Amino acid sequence: MARYAMVIDLRKCVGCDACTVACRTEWDVPIGHSRTWVKNTGAVGEFPNLIGSNFVAQCNHCDEPTCIAPCPTGATFQLKNGIVKVDTDLCIGCGYCVEACPYDARYINPLTKKVDKCDFCEARLEEGLLPACVTTCTGDAKFFGDLEDRNSIVYKKVYEEGARRMENDNAALGPNVYYLGTEEQLQLVLEKFGPRKPRLATAAQTWRDIIKPAVFTAVGATFVGQAVAFFSQLSKGEEPIDD
Amino acid sequence: MSISRRDFLKKTTLSAGAFTLLSGMKVHGMEAIHPKGWKGRQRVSEIASICEMCFWRCGILGNVDKHGKLLKIDGNPEHPLTEGRLCARGNAGHKLAYDPDRLKYPLMRVGKRGEGKFKRVSWDEALDFFAKKLLEIREKHGAEAVGFFPHGIQARFFEHLMKGFGTPNIVEPAFAQCRGPRDVGYKLTFGNNVGSPEPLDFENTKMMVFIGTHIGENVFTGQNLQFANALERGAKLIVVDPRFSIAAQKADYWLPLKPGTDTALLLAWIHVLIYENLYDKEYIRKYATGFNALKKHVKSLTPEWAAKITELPAGLIRETAREMAGQIPAVGLHPGRHFTWYGNDSQRGRAMAILTALLGAYGRKGGIYLSSPIPAPKYPSPANPKPAARADGAGTVYPFASRGLGVTNGLVEATHSGEPYPIKAWIVYSQNVLQSIPDPWKTKEAIEKLDLMVVVDVMPMEQYLYADLVLPEATYLERYDDLYTVKNAKKPFAAIRQPVIDPLFESKPGWWIAREMAKRLGLEEHFGWEDIEEYLDYRLSGLGVTLKQIQARGLVEYDKGTPYFDFSKPVRFKTPSGKIELYSEELKRYGFDPMPVYEAPDEVPKGYFRLLYGRSPLHSFARTQNNEILNGYQPENDLWINDKIAAELGLIDGEYVNLENQDGMLSNNIKLNVTPGIRPDAVFMVHGFDHKSPLLKRAYGKGASDTYLMSRYKVDPISGGTGMRVNFVRIIKDGQPVMISGAVSAIGRFKSTRDARRPVKKVVVPRAVQSEEDEGC
Repeated sequence: MARYAMVIDLRKCVGCDACTVACRTEWDVPIGHSRTWVKNTGAVGEFPNLIGSNFVAQCNHCDEPTCIAPCPTGATFQLKNGIVKVDTDLCIGCGYCVEACPYDARYINPLTKKVDKCDFCEARLEEGLLPACVTTCTGDAKFFGDLEDRNSIVYKKVYEEGARRMENDNAALGPNVYYLGTEEQLQLVLEKFGPRKPRLATAAQTWRDIIKPAVFTAVGATFVGQAVAFFSQLSKGEEPIDD
Repeated sequence: MSISRRDFLKKTTLSAGAFTLLSGMKVHGMEAIHPKGWKGRQRVSEIASICEMCFWRCGILGNVDKHGKLLKIDGNPEHPLTEGRLCARGNAGHKLAYDPDRLKYPLMRVGKRGEGKFKRVSWDEALDFFAKKLLEIREKHGAEAVGFFPHGIQARFFEHLMKGFGTPNIVEPAFAQCRGPRDVGYKLTFGNNVGSPEPLDFENTKMMVFIGTHIGENVFTGQNLQFANALERGAKLIVVDPRFSIAAQKADYWLPLKPGTDTALLLAWIHVLIYENLYDKEYIRKYATGFNALKKHVKSLTPEWAAKITELPAGLIRETAREMAGQIPAVGLHPGRHFTWYGNDSQRGRAMAILTALLGAYGRKGGIYLSSPIPAPKYPSPANPKPAARADGAGTVYPFASRGLGVTNGLVEATHSGEPYPIKAWIVYSQNVLQSIPDPWKTKEAIEKLDLMVVVDVMPMEQYLYADLVLPEATYLERYDDLYTVKNAKKPFAAIRQPVIDPLFESKPGWWIAREMAKRLGLEEHFGWEDIEEYLDYRLSGLGVTLKQIQARGLVEYDKGTPYFDFSKPVRFKTPSGKIELYSEELKRYGFDPMPVYEAPDEVPKGYFRLLYGRSPLHSFARTQNNEILNGYQPENDLWINDKIAAELGLIDGEYVNLENQDGMLSNNIKLNVTPGIRPDAVFMVHGFDHKSPLLKRAYGKGASDTYLMSRYKVDPISGGTGMRVNFVRIIKDGQPVMISGAVSAIGRFKSTRDARRPVKKVVVPRAVQSEEDEGC
């Protein structure tokens, strides 16, 4: 089985946003939200002794994703190849997974009210295409492939060139987006853009936000339905029974 | 059962509900609800063409659905420079075609110029009027009274028409506001322009040197790709820039020199190469002339001399020169692109060319490779009438200016003054004369003197408000254009632009507009082709292919062999001496310094900053700010200001201020980007914002315009290029100038000559602040 991974070479990334626009047009991501994004640390230090770096991020398709457990409907799940996916038919837009992701890689689409995020362009992979962001990258800074294939480019970048995971004390979930860069650069981006603590929904929260309203709605709807049926029957009067 | 993608699309789109969702529902114009079971973008038909979101013209594939709607643009993997990659602007190109603010119909002015009142007219009515006016003007004042301002390959047909009409006054900002002085400097030295794309052999370079070049923010996909790959390969990078650019973030050496002192640095580098005996001696001995004069010329121009001027450590200057020399000849000294900075720019171009020569890097592997023309014949056309003398000064006032591209500011000046003869009409074609040529106030005054101002464009830029006639051109996605030949590639190629979608509204392709006008001007014979396909076939015949044969791929390569000098044969440069001219007799003959001399720029007055400007990867010039996606990313520009200075002035990151230049010109609001990444004596903004056409609904009034702070410019006497980094600004907060404590303003040096023409702005400085007595606070 494959284990899909991405490697981003920050030395090569110029921060041009080609990847994020390509992703946006490939997946119709609304302005103001992103499946992938580019940031820059800005100049850090004192003039003229400065460092700075671009940073590109997206869903990390972690080995141990924190976004799956909080989902009350099972809409978020992981494929055997590592891709973490959202089934939009099951998603109710509660946003627990959005909170749970330490990389803030998920957003709720304002029109569909469903959660959306990077899925490594699974549909393109099925067609034999690379993810849209990799194909268009003007710096040839993004690499995609199967980490279990010794001949793949990502295997080479991870195991031979030492591409690193963006992990810290807040979250060490085995992310499958790896980074190449100078030591200084990788430290800087980890400091600035490293993962936060996952905010996991408690059982009480789930009860309050999901189950309780759902039960109330169900009970209420049943009552209303009954009442409507009753009154409509009343207004029509009794119908003769056909033998 | 397996469903092919095409079937899948048919099924989903034929259900009425799904169809509505696909083409109708929008969030910010982006289709965000997909039909149930949507699995991603269908690649129904992919049409190869070339981009025009900037002038780099990368290969694209337009992904069009069965209803003829362009869904997505991908890079064309066959394109030799980009390998299927495409920048943010290219990826957002469909939003130009679908921009609701587009020019849709021919319009004729009914109100006053600048008022923006137009009536919709038919194409026939518009073109009849246009032709009648042109003929009247030619009758009364001669063909030379018509000035033509074209940009890009889309304007070539109309340019052909204007040459047939008989005017010599054809001017593009690509010269005098951009590459002009660079190309002049290199041509004087090597006998050849640098041209575009810059023929840099980054694939083999071991050392890249950028003088103000900010690749990464200034993105041309192919060059960016080669730059990034060179970094990965371990090539070294020296970046000279007052600002800690993206390229500087990646550099081995960042040299934040004092703005305007580049030539001093270059001369000191030349000094080190010569006096430390590090230059490519064999190359220079065999192929260059004037070495001894140069050696004498730079004798005293030591790193210590340059250190005082550039405010860089002498040791760093020496060390970087040695680093460069260590990689001879594989040094990619980027010649730059926008080169019109300080008004002595041709000499800076000369200094860069001389440095390139000393490094033995011209025509060599890893340096600058050689280009050769592509055999694409011109379609036969009758001879053009002999034109009158030019009015813009190209070849006369500015002896080395390109007669092909002309001097825009020279023509503005001529129109304004009526000298050497009156200019009565302007035809502005895909150019933005108010946002690209400095001193837009003067440009507007010049327009006022015209009998006819015609704008051919896709978007209603500010200049549209001043037009008598507006013609809506189809976007690059909706038309054929002239063949795009790229000689500056290791394997030169010719690419076609062909319609990806049908023209929207009543827009028309440029070739159609030009040919229709030709009929009305009695110049049909100049457009003798049956149709545009036949025209392109003719041009492609030189490459041995037909249009049909290359339509799927979009281009054809032309192998010209190795792009480097073959030193086993005699090498002759296209200079008068046949050699690389370190010393230029030509310059001397015209009274200019035969070798570059450092000229100090004007000092920044106290309390002011030098206004620097540059580019963003998300926008091209002032052209893309209204694009839905690109505007969504970067709706406005910000102002880089040094953190220590900001702290001293009490300015906070993210707050909005206004800028006032030395002549009292006020900018729109601009957000501060407080950073240690810029020198304390300069501020920086991205060019092209604060659009003044209210018809650009997204871009109108967003950010600040650098051009509208350029009430001054300094003309390079050699090339005619406009040095534009000669303006100074101070910061206005809550209507008051923000001054460094204790410092005395040197505003007395500047006379506020333009108060009468002060633009109306959101913030107005109280009169008291403007008076002379209050300047010293």
